[in-house]
Amino acid sequence: MITSIFYLAKFSSKIVHLLAIACCLSMLSCDKPDLTVEKPNENLRPAADFVNNNFEMTLFSAALKKVGLYEELNGAGPYTLLVPTDEAFNEVGVFRASDFDSMDQDSLKRVMSYHILPRRLRDQDIPINSADIRYKTMEGSELYATYANYSPDGNNVANKLFFSGAQATRKDVTLSNGVLYSIRKLMKPQFEVSLQAWLIARSEYSVFIAGLKKFGLWDQLAEHGPYTVFAPTNDALAKIGITEESLGELKTEGYNGEMLFGCYVIKGKHFFVSDSDAFATIATDGGYMRLAGDGVRGIQFGSTVFFNKITYTLTLYSVPSISAGRIEAKAEYDVEAKMDYLCSNGVIHNLEQGFITVDLAQKDASL
Amino acid sequence: MRELIQSKAVLFFLLFILCCSSCTKVDYTEIKDPAYLRVFNNLNYLQTMGNKDEKLPYFCLLINPTVDADGTITGGEIVGDFLNKRDAYAPPYPSHIGNSTTVDNPEFPGKQNVLVAPVLNGFDLSSWAQVPSGDVRVMFAYRPKNEIPFLKLERHLRQDILIDTVLNLGSKEVYTMHLLQTDFNTKAHGLVVRQENFHKLPLSDSLVYVNFYNMSAKGFVDADASLKDNDYRLRSFKGGIQDDMNVYFSLYETEANLNHNGATIPGFKGKYLTNLKRETNSTAVSPYVSFPLWASTLGNRIYTPIWQRFEFLAPGIDITANPIFPSESETGGNWAVVNCLRNGKIELQSRDNGTILPNLLVNVHSGINNPQTFATVNTIEVVNGRVYLTTIQRKYPAPIY
Repeated sequence: MITSIFYLAKFSSKIVHLLAIACCLSMLSCDKPDLTVEKPNENLRPAADFVNNNFEMTLFSAALKKVGLYEELNGAGPYTLLVPTDEAFNEVGVFRASDFDSMDQDSLKRVMSYHILPRRLRDQDIPINSADIRYKTMEGSELYATYANYSPDGNNVANKLFFSGAQATRKDVTLSNGVLYSIRKLMKPQFEVSLQAWLIARSEYSVFIAGLKKFGLWDQLAEHGPYTVFAPTNDALAKIGITEESLGELKTEGYNGEMLFGCYVIKGKHFFVSDSDAFATIATDGGYMRLAGDGVRGIQFGSTVFFNKITYTLTLYSVPSISAGRIEAKAEYDVEAKMDYLCSNGVIHNLEQGFITVDLAQKDASL
Repeated sequence: MRELIQSKAVLFFLLFILCCSSCTKVDYTEIKDPAYLRVFNNLNYLQTMGNKDEKLPYFCLLINPTVDADGTITGGEIVGDFLNKRDAYAPPYPSHIGNSTTVDNPEFPGKQNVLVAPVLNGFDLSSWAQVPSGDVRVMFAYRPKNEIPFLKLERHLRQDILIDTVLNLGSKEVYTMHLLQTDFNTKAHGLVVRQENFHKLPLSDSLVYVNFYNMSAKGFVDADASLKDNDYRLRSFKGGIQDDMNVYFSLYETEANLNHNGATIPGFKGKYLTNLKRETNSTAVSPYVSFPLWASTLGNRIYTPIWQRFEFLAPGIDITANPIFPSESETGGNWAVVNCLRNGKIELQSRDNGTILPNLLVNVHSGINNPQTFATVNTIEVVNGRVYLTTIQRKYPAPIY
């Protein structure tokens, strides 16, 4: 009996030892391939250098140097740069670096600082399907980010990102001290300037101003908003027969001012033209219908995008419904550089077509 | 002998290693004296051009939150994040956990990994979360729609609070909490915490129970159509219903016939059920009304294919002489219809103005029967232009394959 236990113990200890050796061997024999992990790019440039070395952003770089932000943007950061391309600067009449010399340097610096956020804002940090998320800029004021990702049913994926009405054409470019977005047009913050002050400063809207004053719609534009104004130029109004002289002759009691001039002002809303494009995705409806000044018809603000070019449209319907209404008047405008002036109490867009004619605004004598 | 000791030592050593490494300590979370809570976000308004400045009704629910000096939420005893608009159907089991690909939660607890309520008086309450009883602070904080957990959001995004209140929850009581809009014009919000009583009632398991609530915002039904959701699937409900309505119902013989003019069960066509008044403040439980599970004589008492149609009619309109055209969806809130059949994702083939919800009855594989029909306890809630169904089911025998 004892011998058999001895034998078993001897045998089992052998097995244990053998197993231990086999175990060691199997471990040692593991193939260890020399894995090379992709190293992250260590040669990322800081913000200002990146912009300076990009042929598409020479004017932005020149402006940075002009206002003395260049060195700062090569600092520790983090920064988020929203860089309008040279083409965007060309659209507002800036073609070479020397063009910045004639500008008011303080204003230029404020606008440039508005294009820089003192933080790292990556694409993924912006809430999906969001409108007007505000981010503080280096200037101190806030910009509005709108991100249209997909329609409510999950289809129609667009992922269009807008900063204060300017669409980001390239997102999330990594810098050593932040992130860079390239945007298709210059953002045009007017800071403390109200809609009224903005219009007064421009002589091409004098007839529009006169019309608003005549019908008692002018004072509201100095107040707290928000408003969205589609400002028709004097030429635009002349095309539909409204001039300084004809306005003088017009009797206010015979015409509906809310129709004739109120049609260019949306009260209580601040719309960038791009909002219409964004909500065409977010809500599958990029139109905003409101009751016209006569209380019967409807005015719709909408937009169409064709080959990345946005056109905004104002349409007068016989009733406030696209399906049931008949189109009675229409005006549209497509120069992006002259849209989305962000004033202190609303947004203003240029318009070079007259919208509602005097005939349509005439009050019904029989009523 | 030495060898024996040696080998034993090796064996003991191995045993010791095994014992040490195989032990894991599991700390089970426990809530003493819990109350059971289920939360719905009834703020179903739309995101459109016209209301782009309104905040998106997407929340984080916090129970007993911790807030630091500048009002930033830093934590909470129970956190129900990503609380989205509620689904049309709140199923008896949180089945959406397994078949969804987003973080959006249609209810709380829903997809949240929390302690859930036990089986109470036969009712499976796995859709209710355990929360501390007594005075609890409840907070609903707005959050942006992304996938970052609330407590990891930037500080300024954790300060926007819609509702901050203290509730007294009773131990072992069942509550449903509804976040809703009380006034459509002023956009006032409210919270309704309803102490449910279905588990205390002597409910029969051969009757199907349902109660109704109209928690629409004041002024919704009279508001302009352009401010309402124009989803065609809402049909006659899209304009809302009047503040005072009578509810009628019909039972149809078979779900196979997708026709509201199909055969109804004798005695169950256009029967009056109850009266329904709009109420956004009351926490009272509406009385349950019932119909027999085996109403149809065609069934085999294991499975029945019957389905239900509920009609909401303004007082004064006779269901047998309804003046409104059957497929008209612009009814001025005087007539609204909901058909409850199959999984609620189909369309009737007849010209009808009813919106579709799942069948009140639950048909599942249980024991050797596949399917077997079970009686349920239901709640139908009308909120503005939408109608919601919550189904509660008893625990049933597991399927045998």
